[in-house]
Amino acid sequence: MGNKVILLGNEAIARGIVEAGCDVAVAYPGTPSSEILPAVAKYADELGTRTAVEWAVNEKVAFEVAATASFTGKRTCAIMKQVGLNVAADPLMSVAHFDLAGGFLIVSADDPGPHSSQTEQDSRYFAMFAKVPCFDPASAQEAKDMVFDAFDLSEKYHMPVMLRPAVRVDHCRQDVETGEVRDLARKADFKKDIRRWVCLPAHVKINHPQLNAKLDSVREDFETAFGRYNFEIPATGKARIGIIASGVSFSIVMDLLKEWKREDVAILKIGTPHPLPVKMVEDFMARHDNLLVLEETYPVIEMQLPNRTKLKGRWNGFVPRAGELLPEVIRDLILKALGEPVPDEGVPELKAAIEEMKVTPKPPMLCPGCPHRASFFAMRKALPTGIYPSDIGCYTLGVNQRDVDTTIDMGASLTSASGFYLAYKTDGKDQPVVATIGDSTFFHMGILGLANAVYNRHAFVLAILDNSITAMTGGQSNPNVGEKLRQGDEGRRIEIEPVVRGCGVSFVKVAEPYDTADSAEVFKEAWEHAKANREPAVVILRHPCMLLRQKQARVKVRVNPDKCIGCKYCTNFFNCPGLPFDEGAKKARIDERFCVQCGVCIQVCPHGAIEAVEGEEA
Amino acid sequence: MQYIIVGLGGQGILFTSRVLGHIAVSRGERVMGSEVHGMAQRGGSVISHFKVGDYSSPLVLTGAADLLLSFDQNEGIRNLHFLRKGGAAILNVHAPEAMENPHIKSFLAERQIKAFCLPGYDILREKMEGRFLFMNALILGAMCGAGAGTLSIEEVRKAVEKLAPAKFRGDNLKAVDLGYEHFAGK
Repeated sequence: MGNKVILLGNEAIARGIVEAGCDVAVAYPGTPSSEILPAVAKYADELGTRTAVEWAVNEKVAFEVAATASFTGKRTCAIMKQVGLNVAADPLMSVAHFDLAGGFLIVSADDPGPHSSQTEQDSRYFAMFAKVPCFDPASAQEAKDMVFDAFDLSEKYHMPVMLRPAVRVDHCRQDVETGEVRDLARKADFKKDIRRWVCLPAHVKINHPQLNAKLDSVREDFETAFGRYNFEIPATGKARIGIIASGVSFSIVMDLLKEWKREDVAILKIGTPHPLPVKMVEDFMARHDNLLVLEETYPVIEMQLPNRTKLKGRWNGFVPRAGELLPEVIRDLILKALGEPVPDEGVPELKAAIEEMKVTPKPPMLCPGCPHRASFFAMRKALPTGIYPSDIGCYTLGVNQRDVDTTIDMGASLTSASGFYLAYKTDGKDQPVVATIGDSTFFHMGILGLANAVYNRHAFVLAILDNSITAMTGGQSNPNVGEKLRQGDEGRRIEIEPVVRGCGVSFVKVAEPYDTADSAEVFKEAWEHAKANREPAVVILRHPCMLLRQKQARVKVRVNPDKCIGCKYCTNFFNCPGLPFDEGAKKARIDERFCVQCGVCIQVCPHGAIEAVEGEEA
Repeated sequence: MQYIIVGLGGQGILFTSRVLGHIAVSRGERVMGSEVHGMAQRGGSVISHFKVGDYSSPLVLTGAADLLLSFDQNEGIRNLHFLRKGGAAILNVHAPEAMENPHIKSFLAERQIKAFCLPGYDILREKMEGRFLFMNALILGAMCGAGAGTLSIEEVRKAVEKLAPAKFRGDNLKAVDLGYEHFAGK
């Protein structure tokens, strides 16, 4: 029986996955997708299903594990963020050609904006590239509903199906209807069939045309049988504009029209942007002269139309080609398309006040007490002329202390270090290079870069910032932690040191980040070793993440105003929310709202102005 | 009813929208909100949109919010433009003189916005041993005390009691009351 509860969009998707009878769910965390898998585990525990729920070491692994489990006839899903799908692109392209047995759902969460990503790419494009069908939900409820249809469609055509929620669906909170679990009682039954499960070129010659035929059939289904996701809302009066909209953009249009009480706007809502129900769209286009397309973030609907010259969209620059389609943007686009004046949003008084008071948005920073901040400080102290390639995680915020010079993607700290090494080596120069990577990212994609660097004898320092958690995405487990999501499941922890040694590294030392003098010595020693032996040297900086709230000694500190000369060394190279610079007094100060009394900043000030408050140590 | 809730990552903004959502649902109203997770939570500017009623999208249009709940003075000032004409703001301020800025005063007057400022950090320092993590409960109480919005203090207390972790239930309720008393009857 239906029961309404308030859920996060990601929880609604998770609920759908469990209710739809999914037996295997595998993911790697990444904003905005991270909350889906823990919620799958929670509902599976609550509802007593047998679902296997696992964090994989990376998205490629997650994809392959889940896809293969579906070869046995079970329902499975792989969950990731949009850039995670890049990592899983290889199996995606391949598995798309397979004639699958059980339903296989890919959830790829997009981040228009972007809010927490290195790109604002559109996973629907990937669906188009790989030739797999894609659902694009406009709300949490619709995302949950689509999970069922995606599984059913996947089983009807024996092909993977993608659900692409964008961040405003993932992180919206909405009343959602919950239901019962569909107990499919499937038994794993892998039927050996080389033509079906081995991607030989000879098989592709058969499978590719077959995939094309499947897509044609899916398109027909989307034209006719998916009216709950693809539908027209005619204008109540005479239409002066026709809007083709998908995802959250559709929801925003609905709210605007309701507020405006307009009668001259017709809407075609598309929930299945690939393969596009082209006939439906062309029919709508034939009946409207003034047409606007709103979709995030790339022109996926536009691209599939044989003739888009009539459209106001991205192809002609009418709709911005980058950035999130926020309500203000959509409002202005509709008014512009109608040839009506765009409201002057100018708030000159407010702007003047904000300028006068220098009120700026506060960028994200490493948490007060974060061990990474101390590790970075020691790294720079030891090797101030170094080049510092880094990676994806909280520690990318080391950019605030000027200790991150490059970031490309997961695992690139190591491979960038190799690139720098080779470039300088060919000039005969020993350039110090320190790569920084977190424990989860090391297991995600770092190990391969390390093996490559050992094999090819690249001299650099690898600093593994081990805070024993996947912190940036909200504290998920990983191989270095060893915990699993479902009650009663036990994982096995993999220690970093033997992995590093197993890759052939001879210099492996562990340091305590909070002791910056000692860890700086270890950094120096590591670089000397790397240089002398032509091999990577590894320093593991180990201290638990502050979000784990483990008990540690508290040291109350103060800034001695007589000793502080206002040089900003601490704000530039330590950059702690608890230690801001007072522009009025021209001195650093402790902000007790944020300071967690880790005491590390005492070691930072070159003038000894940061002092422990005597007798206050707890 | 459309809320904008702003502050800095880690101030407990998500709990506030959970309380608002719980009350709305117990009233039989529909809710929709948008939250910030991930990178944006690391101490940086955070904004939550929250809508009660028959809406389709989780985002509030600028100039359309009924109520702004601000946990941080700068974030509050930066987001005043979300308020509609006749809206209200509950603002935690640490340097109240900023609100005397003539431009801000004239903006508020022009839009007929009622701004209720409270020295949240001072209150929590004096009355709750400087445990600033109760700012969210304090602001919720202040909202009721100021008579801004449509929720009663009883509804807020009940929801906070239900949603706060058992260990902090008493402290959360105390903070709600402190916020309420700051404005109630004044």
